[in-house]
This record gives sequence, C-alpha cells and structure tokens, in this order.
Amino acid sequence: MLGELIPVVLRVNGDDYEVGVKPVETLLDVLREKLGLTGTPMMCDEGECGSCTVLIDGKPVLSCMTLAVECEGKDILTIEGLADPATGELHPLQRTFVERSGMQCGICTPGMILTAKALIDGNPDPTEDDVREALAGNLCRCGNYPRIAECVLAAAELMKGG
Amino acid sequence: MTKSEVFETCQHHGPVPILRKEPAEPRYIDHFDARTLESALELLRRYGAAAKIIAGGLDVIGLMRKQVIAPQVLVNIKTVPGLVYTTEDAEGLKIGALTTIRDVETSEAIRQRYPILAEAAHAVGSPLVRNMATIVGNLCQDVRCWYYRRSPATGPSFFCRRKGGHECYAVDGENAYHAIIGADQCHAVNPSDMAPALLALRASLKIASPSNDRVVPLAEFYRPMGNILQPDEIITEVQVPAPLPGTGQCYLKFRVRQTIDFAISSAAAVIVTRAGVASEARIVLGGGSPAPYEAFDAEATITGKAITESLAEGAARAAVGHATPLAQNAYKVPITEALVKRAILGCLSDQT
Repeated sequence: MLGELIPVVLRVNGDDYEVGVKPVETLLDVLREKLGLTGTPMMCDEGECGSCTVLIDGKPVLSCMTLAVECEGKDILTIEGLADPATGELHPLQRTFVERSGMQCGICTPGMILTAKALIDGNPDPTEDDVREALAGNLCRCGNYPRIAECVLAAAELMKGG
Repeated sequence: MTKSEVFETCQHHGPVPILRKEPAEPRYIDHFDARTLESALELLRRYGAAAKIIAGGLDVIGLMRKQVIAPQVLVNIKTVPGLVYTTEDAEGLKIGALTTIRDVETSEAIRQRYPILAEAAHAVGSPLVRNMATIVGNLCQDVRCWYYRRSPATGPSFFCRRKGGHECYAVDGENAYHAIIGADQCHAVNPSDMAPALLALRASLKIASPSNDRVVPLAEFYRPMGNILQPDEIITEVQVPAPLPGTGQCYLKFRVRQTIDFAISSAAAVIVTRAGVASEARIVLGGGSPAPYEAFDAEATITGKAITESLAEGAARAAVGHATPLAQNAYKVPITEALVKRAILGCLSDQT
C-alpha cells in the first residue's frame, strides 16, 4: 500500500500492459518511461501546451495531467497506435502531415494529429474554423498553424474517400 | 546561499522571500478510487486535511507538482457514479459536480436558456482542458499567483500569506496579473471563468458531508484566502435558478491569447428587463480580485433605468470605482471598465 507500486492494466493502442505505477505517476510518465512509448512528448508538463495529448475513450486529453492509476479500464490511443498494425500503412492524417509539411520541428505533431483525429471522428466534414477551434489547445512553437490546418482538412477529405 | 544570491536567483524585485523550512514533497501518497459518495466522504472523514479530492485533476496535479500542497491521500471521485448530469426544469438547472466544462459548453439546454454558462465554459482553458476539467473543479481551483505557485524545485519558494506567512510578495513584486480590486491580505486573483457567470445567475452549491447535506449560495462560498469548503465535505451539485423572462446574459473575458490563458479580466452580466427598464442587474468581475467581485455600485447604477450606452459607461466606471491597482497592473482597470460596459450592452441583444 504505502509507497508501493499499484498494479494496473493499461489498454494502450489495443494492447494490454500490466504495469506497476506510483499513485502520483502521470499517464505521460508511464507511457514514456515504463511502456517505452516515447511518441508522446513531454513539453510543458503543466497542462498548457497540448503536446502530450492522447485519446482516452476517443477524447483528446492531456496525459501530463492524468494519473496513470486512474486510466485502468480505459481505451488509450497514442500516436504509435495510428498506423495500421499489420501493414504499417500510415493513417491519412499522418500521411498528409508528411506529404504537405504539417510539421517543422515535430514536437507538437503527435498531439496535433490525435486532437485532429478526434475532431474528424466526430465531425467528418470540418471547416477550417472547426479545425482551428479544435486545435486551439495544441501549441506549435514553429508557428506552422496554417499548414497544420490545411493538412487536417486534406486528411478529412481523404478519410471521406474523396 | 546569501540573501542577495536568493534575490538574484528568483528575480524578485520585492523584499527577500522567506524560504520554506521543509520541502512539501510527501514520501508517499495513497490513492483511492471511491465507488460511492459515502465511501468518499468516509475517506475524507478518516484522513481529514491530509486527504485531497481529485476529479479532473488539472489543478490538484499542478499544485502537487509545484509542491504547493502535499496530500497524503488522494480520493478519486471520478469513480463515483451519478455525478455527471445537467437537468433542467421550470425551477432551474442542476449540474452534477463531475460534469465536464465541455459538457456545459455544448449542452443544448444550457445554450438555450443559460447562454452565459456556455460562454463562460467556452472561455475556459483549451479544448483539451475542457474535456478534463469539471464544473466544480473550476469553481474550487486555486489561484495562479506565481509567488504562491512557485515550486521549490525551480528556486526558493515563497512562504506567502496565503500559505500562512506574513507577506504578500506581489504587493511590491511582479504584479502585472494580480488583483486590482477587493484585495487585502492576498493579491492573487480567482482564476475561474464559471464563478462570475454562476454568481451572476445566483447559483448555489449542494455540499455533502458525513453528517448532513447543505446548500450554500455561491455568493457566500468564497473567502479572500479560498473558500468555505471543509476538508470532509464534497460539493455534489451546482444549482441555478431559472432566469426570469426578459433576462439578458453576457460573459466577456479578456486575455492575450484567445485560448489557454486565464482571464486578465472578465465580466459577467445578467440583467432582467421589464417594460424597457432594468428591473434587476447582476454584474460580477473575474480575474481582478481574490474572490469573484460583485460590482454592487454598477448594479445600482443601472437598476430601475432604461439601459443606454452612456448609462452602461457610467455603470462600468462605478464597477471599478473601488479599484486600487498595484504598480504594474493599472492597465487592467480600463480593460475591466470596457468589459463591463460591453457585457451590459451585450445583455440587451442576448435576451432569453
């Protein structure tokens, strides 16, 4: 109990991980340090920048402000879980970000893509305003916002089969 | 470290801070998922001030990371069923404590009849924050003062008056974002967006404790150093009386970025108009005082009169009539004045 690790089962990208976590360990820490899933970057670590965004039960949330122990029984999706596990084929959002230069330094990209995925899943035909509004919590220090919005709109088109 | 070195490390232009003697970081913490409200209350009864409720977690985890608080027990109430809801009837609106800000922002019933709550919810943090943050967490969040929140990990922390010390370091320090009105002991500002809007709507909080339940008007909830919630109590519901016919509502927030930032200043106005005359007016300022500040003088200025632009200007001047800005934050006064004027006029065009 006191000071000991709490055993939890975390379902990340469809896989179940049995892991011992400290009561105050964040999901971000556990993903990076214990599960080796370093695609989710740690930046501000205070819930401001959105870089550490993951989807929990389909909703984009800040993994740096989420306790891992409270994630048991939830469906966690990180950037590593987006590409097709069998073929390795990239998700349309990943593809457009690569093809249309949606990233510069790339730190905000996993969070941008996951937040955008949640947007498109709920609204398959977003406007540019919808995209800007949905991504308002994901900071890009390179200031690549216009391209990012363009990529998300292009990916939404692709995902409609257009 | 000498006093002058401390002075330099923390880039503090006021008096040399008193250093905290013992680090607040706990050696261990226990975490409980409460399955019922009763078990959560029992945990709080058992551990008292050593326990902390965690729901959305944004404030609690931040405060723990900065070692501002050091609970030994975390009581997760997200696992308590039945605290996520918005129900509306002729009497008014009830919002369950764990309802997210996102749910408040997007609720059709709230958008229709309590639009000020949807506007305030939309102004909270970022979409990611709104997915996590709860309505009651927003009301109970601690201040963002950089002296109060300064982590000992990044330099000397400030044992300020809010922590039981003897000084408010903002008074002679870096105070661009501190209080301009209603501050006495502590000059940190209440950062909540929901609080001014809910206060203007005359909301109440339903509070459960091991012995009894009570309902407290939000107007009596805040204190200059926090709020009246006891360590063994849990807020379970926000209650909002139904607005009278002819009620206009408006919440406006000023910040540098249009997302993420806390309010530099905000104004909530709820005005009931009958036969062209403001029969009732409630104007509450956010981001400018340690507790949300009801501008009674501004309310008195417009009550019983037909609202015009010049009357709104007069009310806005009255709202900041008692402002006593510090060295670096006088700029907030005209901003607040402009927000109050616009919020009053906004009520005319936005009547439910």
